[in-house]
Amino acid sequence: MAAPPTEYEVKAAFIHNIAKFVEWPAVPSSVRSARLCVLGQNPFGEALEALQGKPVGRLNWEIVQADGSASLKECRVLFISASERSNLGRILESIASHPVLTIGDSEGYAEQGVMVNFYPEQNKVRFEINLAAATGAGLKISSQLLKLARIVRPAGGRP
Amino acid sequence: MRVGFQAKAITVFPSFIFSALAMGIATALPMQAVAGLREPEPVADLTHLSIEELLDVEVYSASKFIQKASEAPSAVTIITAADIKAFGYRTLADILRSVRGMDVSYDRTYSYLGVRGSGRAGDYNSRVLLLLDGYRLNDPIYDQASIGTEGVVDVDLIERIEVVRGPGSSIYGSNAVLGVISIITKRGRDLDGLEVSGELASFDADKERLSYGKRYDNGAELLLSASRYRSRGQELFFPAYDAPATNNGIARNLDGDRYDSFFGKLAYAGFTLTGGYSSRDKAVPTAFYDTTFNDPNTEFSDGSAFVDLGYYGALGQRWDIAAHVFRGHYSFDGIYPYAAALNKDETRGAWWGTELKFVGRLEKHKVVMGAEYQDNFRQDQFNFDIAPYDLLLDDRRDSTRVGVYIQDEFSLSRNLLLNAGLRYDDYSTVGSTLNPRLGLIWNPLATTTFKLLYGTAFRAPNAYELYYASLTQKGNPSLKPEEIATWEFVVEHRLRPDFRLTADAYSNRISGNIGQIADPADGLLVFVNSGLVDAKGVEFEAERLWDGGARLRTSYAWQTSRERESGATLVNSPRHLAKLNFSAPVWGDRLRTGAELQYASSRRTLAGDNVGGRLLANLTLLSEKLAPGLTLSASVYNLFDKRHADPGGEEHVPIDAIQQDGRSYRLKLNYRF
Repeated sequence: MAAPPTEYEVKAAFIHNIAKFVEWPAVPSSVRSARLCVLGQNPFGEALEALQGKPVGRLNWEIVQADGSASLKECRVLFISASERSNLGRILESIASHPVLTIGDSEGYAEQGVMVNFYPEQNKVRFEINLAAATGAGLKISSQLLKLARIVRPAGGRP
Repeated sequence: MRVGFQAKAITVFPSFIFSALAMGIATALPMQAVAGLREPEPVADLTHLSIEELLDVEVYSASKFIQKASEAPSAVTIITAADIKAFGYRTLADILRSVRGMDVSYDRTYSYLGVRGSGRAGDYNSRVLLLLDGYRLNDPIYDQASIGTEGVVDVDLIERIEVVRGPGSSIYGSNAVLGVISIITKRGRDLDGLEVSGELASFDADKERLSYGKRYDNGAELLLSASRYRSRGQELFFPAYDAPATNNGIARNLDGDRYDSFFGKLAYAGFTLTGGYSSRDKAVPTAFYDTTFNDPNTEFSDGSAFVDLGYYGALGQRWDIAAHVFRGHYSFDGIYPYAAALNKDETRGAWWGTELKFVGRLEKHKVVMGAEYQDNFRQDQFNFDIAPYDLLLDDRRDSTRVGVYIQDEFSLSRNLLLNAGLRYDDYSTVGSTLNPRLGLIWNPLATTTFKLLYGTAFRAPNAYELYYASLTQKGNPSLKPEEIATWEFVVEHRLRPDFRLTADAYSNRISGNIGQIADPADGLLVFVNSGLVDAKGVEFEAERLWDGGARLRTSYAWQTSRERESGATLVNSPRHLAKLNFSAPVWGDRLRTGAELQYASSRRTLAGDNVGGRLLANLTLLSEKLAPGLTLSASVYNLFDKRHADPGGEEHVPIDAIQQDGRSYRLKLNYRF
């Protein structure tokens, strides 16, 4: 009945909110925008437009469709689409140890090193966090956020 | 259709039939039609919600297969699995009764959908395209879209239904005249285990279902489900037969209804294999086609089966590919008791087809293009007297159709979108047709959308209309497709992300609509392309969600459908429709209540009378929290026991209005292991 929000409207709002619980290394005061890059097929449609220009801390979101790997390090948040599954290792390597919050919504992404990964459960959106990947990139994730997430260990890790 | 042979002999008054038919086609073509328009609804900004709140928002998941309906212009009405539970829906007909501008009538054999004032009892819903996970359910003999107990899929397996009003032929081809109804079924993971379901209902009805769903570690996903339904039905009284010779008008044990159905789906690595089977038998109490009243032999049986193999994948970063290949089978058996003999219709249809589609996202364009082919290699119709055996019709046919389409959605500027689509179809029976669609969509504000839409659609005459012949009816192989042209203007406004208002106005012109008349030359019934019908209307709808989980949808529709020449209003076409659906948690979240109100104003019958307006109320109480895995619900339909009737098609003459059910009940229990 009343049209529920679409999956990606909800995910866009999640990205905005999750960013508030992540601490990035300081950036020069000349930087005014927080780049939210989408790599691969953009599944959000218009849903990310709702974030365009919206303040996040002292910065404002700038939505960018990424194509090559060259500019990925400039992203504050990088959404890696399901279409990039086969390139995932190479993509993560190209931004390794840079403070880029990687987000995905594909099964297995978190295990492979994506920091935040959405998954569906009973028609609701849930997310898992690969804490080691975030820490390795110099990002600090608030414990409030960790409480709400399923924590994933990197593939091959021992519990 | 399915005329038993002596059937319609002389009871046919051309003007009735004419208007009846006209109405079938006429009315409505809403506009959304231009299928293919992309959905430029204002995007909901949910960033004001906290993470905890977001975790609680229900979304409907994107389908694995590319669904055409999701590319349709908006103002699509979506009914979800949650609605089906909350309102106690038993069939697709129940679901569609709640939809803005729609109305369902029942002649105790089939359910007939009226869309925007067009819904002749007896037209078998051939002007609506019904899709199940992208597979076309309309059969190639009667074009029937089955929405009652004869429907192919158990509504418990439906994840959501997208109802797109208006001509959709620019993408979908034939039948998408008044609208497209797209059913999306649940995935294995939505069940995640074994589920059993049992129902008890009024009129000695019971239903059982056993389902299993699972997603495996390798990513494969399986859904299997079987359903069984039996109902003894009612003893019905028909005043038209109130004489001692015809059991004083009482049809005894002639309302029974039973079906068995099976559905299965296996998905792995971009491929989805779907299969369905259903078989329904319905006793018929109305002595239609001049058969003997209160004869226990009268029975209609419908059977459908299909298999569909689909693939969906990406071709590089900008293009997606979707393909499927399918095989379908349909059978109909109708038994007509006459004083002289027991007569039988036997219809057998078998077909296969395939479709290939590409979706591309280019800089300012979203392009959809595809091609479709269907080979109806068996379209056989037989009619015979059983004993003594006398073969009256032995018509064996086959036909093919092929269609190609392209659609471009072009962003003219940041807030202005042009959608243009075109489809070419070629039928081995009736030749070719070209259907365009144009839509202009303007978003002056993030919360407001205006749409101006134009489109045409068609329905090719089916094998029944072209070739069915008996002692009282003849075929007409020179029938042409019927056509509709529609203009529609839509305004959508979001007061808040969870509060949406929609208003639309439409005008439809239907030409060459296929209707049945008695040929003055020989008195035989025959389908012909008849005159123009004008239909117009306005609709308003409000939808609201509340944080506590309450949901409201309410709508009003004003609609009028007239024959151009005579100015006569179509049969079974209510001027006013109003609906209200409200569902809310009560007693914490232990219980949920779903209440429905549905109003339809009076409708003209074939005999020129009126069936009065009706206001019906349904109420369901649902508990999902009594015990883990247990769902219980109790429903009351027609809560105030309102006496009401639907106009019947002319096969039911002398019965003109067909009595509907009074208050009835259903108890349902689901258990998930």
